[in-house]
Amino acid sequence: MIIDLPNTRTREIAHKIEQLHEERGESATGRVLTLLIATDDNELEHALEVANAASREHPCRVIAIVPDTEHSDNAEAGANTADGAADGTANGTSADAGAKPMEKTDNPAVDLTDGPAGSNLNAQVRFGADAGAGEIIILRPRNGLINHPDTMVIPLLVPDVPVVAWWPTNPPSNPSKDLMGAMARSRLTDAMRSNNPEATIERLRRNWTPEDVDLSWTRLTVWRGLLASMLDQPPHLPITAVKVSGPKEFLPMDLLCAWLRLKLGVNVDVEYVDGAEAVTGVYLTRADGVVSLERPHEDQALISMPGQAPQAISVPVRTIEDCLTEELRRIDPDEVYAEVINEGWDLIRH
Amino acid sequence: MSELSNWSNPLRDSRDLRLPRIAGPCSLVIFGVTGDLAQKKLLPAVYDLANRGLLPPSFGLTGFARRDWTQEHFIEFVKTAVQAHCRTPFKESTWKNLAAGIRFVRGTFDDPAAFERLSDTVQELDRDRGTRGNHAFYMSVPPRAFPIVAKQLAASGLSRSSEGAWRRVIIEKPFGHDLASAKELDHVVSEVFDPSSVFRIDHYLGKETVQNLLALRFANAMYEPIWNANYVDHVQITMAEDIGIGGRAGYYDGIGAARDVIQNHLLQLMALTAMEEPVSFTAKDLTAEKTKVLSAVRLPKDLSLHTARGQYAKGWQGSHEVVGYLEEKGIDPKSTTETYAAIELDIDTRRWAGVPFYLRTGKRLGKRVTEIAVVFKRAPHLPFEQTAVRELGKNAIVIRVQPDEGVTMRFGAKVPGGTTMEVRDVNMDFSYGRSFTENSPEAYERLILDVLLGDPPLFPTTEEVNLSWEILDPIEEFWSTLGQPQPYRSGTWGPAEADEMLAREGRHWRMP
Repeated sequence: MIIDLPNTRTREIAHKIEQLHEERGESATGRVLTLLIATDDNELEHALEVANAASREHPCRVIAIVPDTEHSDNAEAGANTADGAADGTANGTSADAGAKPMEKTDNPAVDLTDGPAGSNLNAQVRFGADAGAGEIIILRPRNGLINHPDTMVIPLLVPDVPVVAWWPTNPPSNPSKDLMGAMARSRLTDAMRSNNPEATIERLRRNWTPEDVDLSWTRLTVWRGLLASMLDQPPHLPITAVKVSGPKEFLPMDLLCAWLRLKLGVNVDVEYVDGAEAVTGVYLTRADGVVSLERPHEDQALISMPGQAPQAISVPVRTIEDCLTEELRRIDPDEVYAEVINEGWDLIRH
Repeated sequence: MSELSNWSNPLRDSRDLRLPRIAGPCSLVIFGVTGDLAQKKLLPAVYDLANRGLLPPSFGLTGFARRDWTQEHFIEFVKTAVQAHCRTPFKESTWKNLAAGIRFVRGTFDDPAAFERLSDTVQELDRDRGTRGNHAFYMSVPPRAFPIVAKQLAASGLSRSSEGAWRRVIIEKPFGHDLASAKELDHVVSEVFDPSSVFRIDHYLGKETVQNLLALRFANAMYEPIWNANYVDHVQITMAEDIGIGGRAGYYDGIGAARDVIQNHLLQLMALTAMEEPVSFTAKDLTAEKTKVLSAVRLPKDLSLHTARGQYAKGWQGSHEVVGYLEEKGIDPKSTTETYAAIELDIDTRRWAGVPFYLRTGKRLGKRVTEIAVVFKRAPHLPFEQTAVRELGKNAIVIRVQPDEGVTMRFGAKVPGGTTMEVRDVNMDFSYGRSFTENSPEAYERLILDVLLGDPPLFPTTEEVNLSWEILDPIEEFWSTLGQPQPYRSGTWGPAEADEMLAREGRHWRMP
């Protein structure tokens, strides 16, 4: 069920949701979190699809914020986004900036306080089959409202449950200072899918706080799990050399190298493989030979241990759904990730 | 190449909560692999574990059965079972890897040659699949077959492992039919396997359920202060089944409801409800608390007043006409086996002094439900007109174990409007299914993974099993002197005897 609410107010949206809950005999108290998504029109439907899939494990209210810069009279609000996107920063509104008086309501036709005629907000509410296990609210603010995403969503948050913020593509340069990000207990970015991954991760690293996680790290969980379980097996000998192979300029590979460097305390050699789409192999050398995990292509991985026949195992490339679901499972700060991006990162060549 | 004794895996970090625990190289041998349980639960669970990436690449699965099958037949059989019952999507790539490690051994339990072939098969798995001598044996067979299988495993050398490898055995309940037989069974199994390698599985009691109960009791501040005799009036623990005995006549007749369900499942639920806070949630500490509370159980003096049994008679189970127990195929028409059992127990501790625990279970009851209801005393003073609280019952916290796992709180609320004040019972509800996940793992997945990881926490130990029999044996002995159990119409909530048992004390059974 999709309900359009053009030129509306948050109060009307909240009322509509209450009404729908009542009609359908549902209750918002079953939602375990509110997921805020800041994105643009190109990414919106994809992001919602991912959120829907994740909501099957974590019933949540999804609120997507898609600033409508095209129909904004306020040149400044639009410029903010355009600039940001160009260098990989998103349409973020920083908390610092938000504190300053921002909106210019010189357009006399726009009355910010009264009646639908003066509305700066188009919204859409999705329920049931169109919304996974929860409900979806899409907010399209215009004009000055673009700069106040926090007070715009506050009336719509599920009471007393955690808020998670997710930027599917371009994150703000400082997520914890972003108005939407500041409300969240967990902030998810995905530098790999931003316009400039390298610049983005550098910025995110510089402004990192314990609640921030980049999905590049989540993409590694399966590989990390397999590697750890390989070393569980005897003989328990020290690792003397490490080699990782994969595509050039691939963020998860950098994080993997940083993690291995940090945990194993040996240098990590990198071998670039042209045309690879993900990490293709990890080779750990110890006195009795090389322990390796390889995934040359597709979803079949090969585990080789010294003195044993290699074994195949199915390791599909992780989808964003997988990653988001994993992130929503645990919303406490990840201390290992913190060490990897703060310490491990500087120990490897980039 | 000497191993460091205090070696710890550098890639593991107790703070790294994302890393899944993947079983090490190993194989699972299933006895009775053509049975219902294997088809519907075990084989699909193995596939789901593989699909979730929790099984090692070096994994073998061996079926042992009487049928005259080739390996290809068996692989096809496993595939059919998996496709029909798996909970995660069926992926050809996962299946291919799993199928490569599947073996079949044909034979009967009394045939030593078959166990020689089994021994060769697991050695071949060690060689070709790298299972490294780690093998778990799942006894999905009737309890009377345990001793012979255990002996054969010992004779063929399968029960012993080389240095650094493990052998484990998984036994399903029932663990005997009284204290003596339980000890005998334990003796047989422990002669062959080390006690720490024996995993007793009570499939009714998934780890998830136990952990949910522990979290509810010990992670919250608001229940503990009232979880005692000062506030609790009594506790009712119910496991009701709507089905009859089905094809289990051979097993069920002579065993009955109390041995089948109360001895293991209901006493475990009672122990978890009544025990003190464990020092930690490790197997050892949890067992210590459960053992303590089980050893403090006191039976009522007059068993005729505080126990009840029944036998289902023909009737209509919901919308279907069903036969009575005595008319079931394979049942002696004069059988005195009970299909319904209710007992009252006291726990002699300061916390529970004077609080009766009522345990009941039965087949062909109103519906399928398992729940623990903690019923509270009335408020000491009700500052209302008598008429206002006429409809008010006792407050209760109901832990729903299945179906629709969750918690219900029952309390009084004012009926809106009206010219006179009126307070009536209402329910407040929490459901795991709605608040968390549609994808939580199946009980058997966790059970199997725990065994492969060697992680035993929540399986009952021999001592708990023995204590449970010590509680039940006198009751069974008393019942054996009574003759025919009271019949009850199928589809109802049991015999009148059980209702009278509570009515005598001014209480009544909840309608779940």
